[in-house]
Amino acid sequence: SSRTGVKEDTVSHRGEQQRSDEDYGYGLFPKRKEAKYKKGSVGESLFTFHNKCQLMLHFALETSPYAKFLLGVMKQSGCTAYQDRHFSCEDCDGTVSGGFDAATSQIVLCQNNVHRQSHMNRVVTHELIHAFDHCRAHVDWFNNLKHLACSEIRAANLSGDCSFGNELSRFNFGFKRHHQECVRDRALRSVLAVRKVTPEEAKKVVDEVFDSCFNDLAPFGRIPHSKNDVKFASRDFQNRDRYYGNL
Amino acid sequence: MTAAAGAAVAWRPPRSCEDYWSEWKHCKSLWNRFHHYYAFGTSLTCRQWKADYEACREWEKESSAEAKELLQQSERARVAEQNKFAPVWQLRQKPPDDWYLPLDHSKPQDS
Repeated sequence: SSRTGVKEDTVSHRGEQQRSDEDYGYGLFPKRKEAKYKKGSVGESLFTFHNKCQLMLHFALETSPYAKFLLGVMKQSGCTAYQDRHFSCEDCDGTVSGGFDAATSQIVLCQNNVHRQSHMNRVVTHELIHAFDHCRAHVDWFNNLKHLACSEIRAANLSGDCSFGNELSRFNFGFKRHHQECVRDRALRSVLAVRKVTPEEAKKVVDEVFDSCFNDLAPFGRIPHSKNDVKFASRDFQNRDRYYGNL
Repeated sequence: MTAAAGAAVAWRPPRSCEDYWSEWKHCKSLWNRFHHYYAFGTSLTCRQWKADYEACREWEKESSAEAKELLQQSERARVAEQNKFAPVWQLRQKPPDDWYLPLDHSKPQDS
């Protein structure tokens, strides 16, 4: 099964290198460090994974209520996300589905691992939550494991990663409070994927920040289990001035 | 006497009465109950939304101070519930400086 929300980190600022790229998960995204505009071969088929990814991404941004809501909130906060600047379809290693690169303010979609529109919608939502966190808070993606874990908890919680249906499809048949088990597990795995820490260290950090981050439901104000929940969240967001002005 | 500049706008309920009604209906729905149990393992009580709706209607009819107080208390409790835990990070005052910077397509080893 695929993992999403793999955290990325930058290594070099103006040529200085403190730790290797591998320490920050860049190994999973081999195309990140190559020159961007390599031309395809002449014999390349017209409908490549890259094209398909771009199309599905566009469709997600235009039609997914979760994505549209997040984009709208970010725009209000001064972080308008443009498809051609803030999103990139690339080949990735392993089974990872996407990532957020704070160094370039870019969401990476793994064109070789995301083949269904529903999956694309969920990955985009997940990564947009990271982007949203980056936009509204001083998230120290690079040096603070708690911050990283926190954003992963939130992304797993709010993106639909841990929906009942998705868990069933992974043959995880929990029900009572299962959502939280799923969120914990996926956050843990995301942290382990991009940081060279032991499972014990990762678990300790996830446990430390879990209560705070699981209950941080911004910008939804609730765990969105359906498009209807997103509609309510959107309504609340439109109404926020009236709401806070009359408390 | 004229009103001072920046005089407060008249108070009204934090949400429209229709919003309280639809939140109550939504809260009670099977779908929502199912997912609440899935997420929290507890059963849900939706009575507060109904109470808020009634207070809202009361306010619309009679502008009673009691209805206003009830609504304010209820909503403040909701906000407090959302802010129970200290945040892990510090919020920004403005968006990141480099959000719109053009991408650098040269390799990072270049200066």
